[in-house]
Amino acid sequence: MRRAWHKAQPDALQRLKERIEQEFPELRLSVQGDVVFLKGSFPVRYGDEILDRYEIELEIPPDLGDSVPRLRETGGRIPWELDRHIIPASGEACPVVPEEWLLRPECGSILSFLRGPVRNFFISQSLVERGDPWPFGERAHGRPGLIQYYEELFQTNDPAAIVRYLECLSRDGLKGHWECPCGSRRRLRDCHIEQLRILRRRMPRLTARRALQRLNSRVTTSNARFEGHLRRQ
Amino acid sequence: MTTSDYLNSILSSQQMKEDSDELEELRSHRKSVESLLRERFSERSPTIRYGGSQAKGTLILESYDLDIICYFPSDEVGAGATLKDIYENVREALAEDYYVESKTSALRLKSKETDGSAPSDFHIDVIPGRYTDASKADCFIYQASGEKERLKTNLDVHIKYVKESGVLDSIQLLKLWKVRHGLNLKHFVFELMIIKLLAKHSSLTLSEQLEFVWKELRDRKDPVGIEDPANPQGNDLSSILSEAWPSLKAAAEDTLKTIEVSGWSAVFGPAPAEAAQEKVRILKAAAAAVISPTKPWCPNA
Repeated sequence: MRRAWHKAQPDALQRLKERIEQEFPELRLSVQGDVVFLKGSFPVRYGDEILDRYEIELEIPPDLGDSVPRLRETGGRIPWELDRHIIPASGEACPVVPEEWLLRPECGSILSFLRGPVRNFFISQSLVERGDPWPFGERAHGRPGLIQYYEELFQTNDPAAIVRYLECLSRDGLKGHWECPCGSRRRLRDCHIEQLRILRRRMPRLTARRALQRLNSRVTTSNARFEGHLRRQ
Repeated sequence: MTTSDYLNSILSSQQMKEDSDELEELRSHRKSVESLLRERFSERSPTIRYGGSQAKGTLILESYDLDIICYFPSDEVGAGATLKDIYENVREALAEDYYVESKTSALRLKSKETDGSAPSDFHIDVIPGRYTDASKADCFIYQASGEKERLKTNLDVHIKYVKESGVLDSIQLLKLWKVRHGLNLKHFVFELMIIKLLAKHSSLTLSEQLEFVWKELRDRKDPVGIEDPANPQGNDLSSILSEAWPSLKAAAEDTLKTIEVSGWSAVFGPAPAEAAQEKVRILKAAAAAVISPTKPWCPNA
């Protein structure tokens, strides 16, 4: 098992601490075993102005970069409801589909996570609280939300094709003679090989395998078409 | 929005709503205070009820204290032989659950739990006292400082005097003005001053009443004469008002100029609805400026 990121790179932890003190002085960093926590008041900034504040706890996992930090709003302001994108049982917030974040080059940066998904999430919450719609939209709950994301990523609305894309990206290398995952029945070299090469650069094999597992683990009988396809894999 | 609508919206934003967290917290503390006192003085028949701005209807959210009176019957000595004894015994009872700070007549309740900083203030004052006779109207309260050791007062007379003044809205807005200008004057004295100034002007509109008060403050050389309606002879309030008069005059002059130059919203700030709209506008602008939007999700359907 890999060492926790902050134990493997103590300098990185120190740098993070310094940057947090500069940019988010009301957040306190603490280490508990393999997990690093950020707790305190998160400012929703726009330019120099602080538009709102939320009490948060951010749990930074040992495998930062391979897993998404866990966010909780601890001030009791946001109800623990799925429609507010808070898991009722745990109070955990879901600012983004995990793979969507993990596919970004900055996925290993906590500051980027705070400036991006966390800030976006709380801007949205502040607007929704005032009766406005979600400014960036929202994903469907559970597996349908994951599928929505992969539909956008792979530019297909065929769930079976999504699985084939992920399968293709889970393998070592890309072979031109493979059948294209798009469903055209053409060879990859004659179809979407360039798209796959670009995707491969964004999505490492491990991430593609995890994404497949995540989709598999979320299969329920409510989506027989998808379930049937996964069973055939 | 007319000036009248604007002032009413400011007024409305300063009301403590029935379902507000603030009121719930105050009620919970009152329950706890009452239970502590009734337990300690179970055989002494104390009268425990709201006093101050909550009872008079002049409370504003911007700055509020809850007064709880705890008066004992005139013939009751079990709670304390002297007023000072009553004050100390009530203090001791409250100290079981609260950090208690002694004020001139009141006991200020603060949290016992601190995180190394100053104890948090619950904005609650408990005022012990003893009725002067069996009618349970007038009451003596202890004075920890000052020339006299006791002060005669009457809560019902105070409540009636303020509530029937016909200028409650002006009192609330002027209290807000006083707080925002950091003017150091007891609320009760300030209320009496406003009632005196507006005694023959309650038919004016709200904005006219406010301007009238400020003009009076600006133009009068000497303070208006006021007296405690519950104790006209025994409670001299004139020196308190005289001390604050120069700063009241200066603030009133500034305010009248502000209205002339910048309008009413420069005095009390933007109307709450406008402020909320502005907040939404800025939040939307912040959302529109996001380069990498992300959509929230939930793993459980």
